[in-house]
Amino acid sequence: MILFENVGFRYGRGPDVLQGLSFDVPDGAFTFITGASGAGKSSLLRLLYLDDLPSAGKISLFGRDISTLTRDEIAWFRRRIGVVFQDFRLLDHLTAAENVALPLRVAGAREVEYRDNVAEMLQWVGLGGQMHIRPPQLSGGEKQRVAIARAVVASPDIILADEPTGSVDPEMAERIMQLFMEMNRLGKTVVFATHDADLVKRSKKPTIDLKSGTSSGGVAA
Amino acid sequence: MRNSSLIPFRSGGGILMALIVAAMAFLACFALAGALGASKLAGAWTDGLSGAATVRIGAEEGAPEQQLDIVLDILKSTEGVIDAVPLTEDEVAALLEPWFGAAPELSDLPAPAIVAVTIDSANEPDTSIVQARLDGAATGAVYDDHGEWRGRAASAAHAVRSVALGALIVCALAIAAVVILSVRSGLSAQSANIATLRLAGAEDRYVAGLYQTRYFWLGLIGGIVGCILALGAMVSFDALSTVSRALPSLDLSGYWWFLLLGVVVFAVLVCVLAARITVLGTLRRGA
Ligand SMILES: Nc1ncnc2c1ncn2[C@@H]1O[C@H](COP(=O)(O)OP(=O)(O)OP(=O)(O)O)[C@@H](O)[C@H]1O
Ligand SMILES: [Mg+2]
Repeated sequence: MILFENVGFRYGRGPDVLQGLSFDVPDGAFTFITGASGAGKSSLLRLLYLDDLPSAGKISLFGRDISTLTRDEIAWFRRRIGVVFQDFRLLDHLTAAENVALPLRVAGAREVEYRDNVAEMLQWVGLGGQMHIRPPQLSGGEKQRVAIARAVVASPDIILADEPTGSVDPEMAERIMQLFMEMNRLGKTVVFATHDADLVKRSKKPTIDLKSGTSSGGVAA
Repeated sequence: MRNSSLIPFRSGGGILMALIVAAMAFLACFALAGALGASKLAGAWTDGLSGAATVRIGAEEGAPEQQLDIVLDILKSTEGVIDAVPLTEDEVAALLEPWFGAAPELSDLPAPAIVAVTIDSANEPDTSIVQARLDGAATGAVYDDHGEWRGRAASAAHAVRSVALGALIVCALAIAAVVILSVRSGLSAQSANIATLRLAGAEDRYVAGLYQTRYFWLGLIGGIVGCILALGAMVSFDALSTVSRALPSLDLSGYWWFLLLGVVVFAVLVCVLAARITVLGTLRRGA
């Protein structure tokens, strides 16, 4: 599903952010990405949601070398990848419900087809009462939950989550964690970037640690 | 509840865009009106002139009666000539009146004899051959099929049409240029939102579609406003032009409505196409 072969990455002519990274995330796996702040977790996810190409090595996604994708193919691949961005990336002029519906809408679905699904998603993340509120009027944690609902609403094959529990209280963090576990049980591949060592330890899932450049739990290729 | 637009367009910029489109549509209507008026006028002239010719027999030649008979014989035996009738003195006087005033003693003056020739427009006799035959009989008569006038009317009409076509192209280019500038600045102001749409799985043509819809409406509103203003201006122009037959009368009844519709469709098309090409080009280059 996701295959990194000796991948290196840097921004422009800047220093290497990722170096010699090789791993394989099989279909349906749940994988943590850990590392200190600045270790390159978000950068790695960025490569996975096809916002950039590696400066060295090769990345394969759904069996395709990502450097060969056309712009349209990138768009179609992204429909199979749900992302919870670290900075949420919500559209401020849209309501929470419209933000959640975005992946469905740009894929050509009509409102009648997804309205119930979107409402249900927002209910699930505890924002049933804030459906028609715009992001600037939401708290950090609420925005994060809108971002999570948007990432999973289209039932993607891969879910990438960048610190998805960063802005919520422990109880909500636990709920969100359960959501991703549930998604994984349904067969979705989940890549979960976090620096919450406790969370990683408790869940006993394979981990790619960026600081040490090692991985554990049998994920390494 | 209706879905919000995925791109928060600013209404101020839209009004400005529509105004510019309106101005260009207004000018395009007048360019078209000019071209059609010129064509119609030239058509009226040439229609009136073709199918008819005149032969003038100089007054200074001797024995005018005899000369007239020879000329009539030659004309009637020419292929393509349907009829040849000499004008009476009164008719000649009427023709000359605008230049000489009513002259009761016209017969005292050496007036030219004029023969009105009806020719078959489908089979016009060759001017130079007719003239050569007249010269051969030493009549000093001059054959005139108004070819020079017809040519001048046609080339004047052609010139006006070319200028009008040029003006239409300039209007289209001006609309396209304004759309391109406005879409470009919109894209850079909205770059973060557009990046988010792309990350959510939108194809470039989906983003282009959002702009096309926006510029479709701006083009439509601008085009309609411009055409209505042009129509109003033309109606008042038409009222004036009936005073003088020399001005082309703009017959607003028939195909004019289609032409105004054509200007609106044209403006919309230019807006939509320019928006699409700009968005697709900018996104591809920014990748
Ligand atoms: N857009 C960018 N342009 C240039 N350098 C960048 C950019 N984004 C990140 N970097 C640099 O790349 C390195 C890795 O950043 P990244 O955001 O991937 O870290 P991270 O592991 O996600 O950190 P955090 O836990 O704080 O989110 C950092 O040194 C950062 O300065
Ligand atoms: Mg990060």
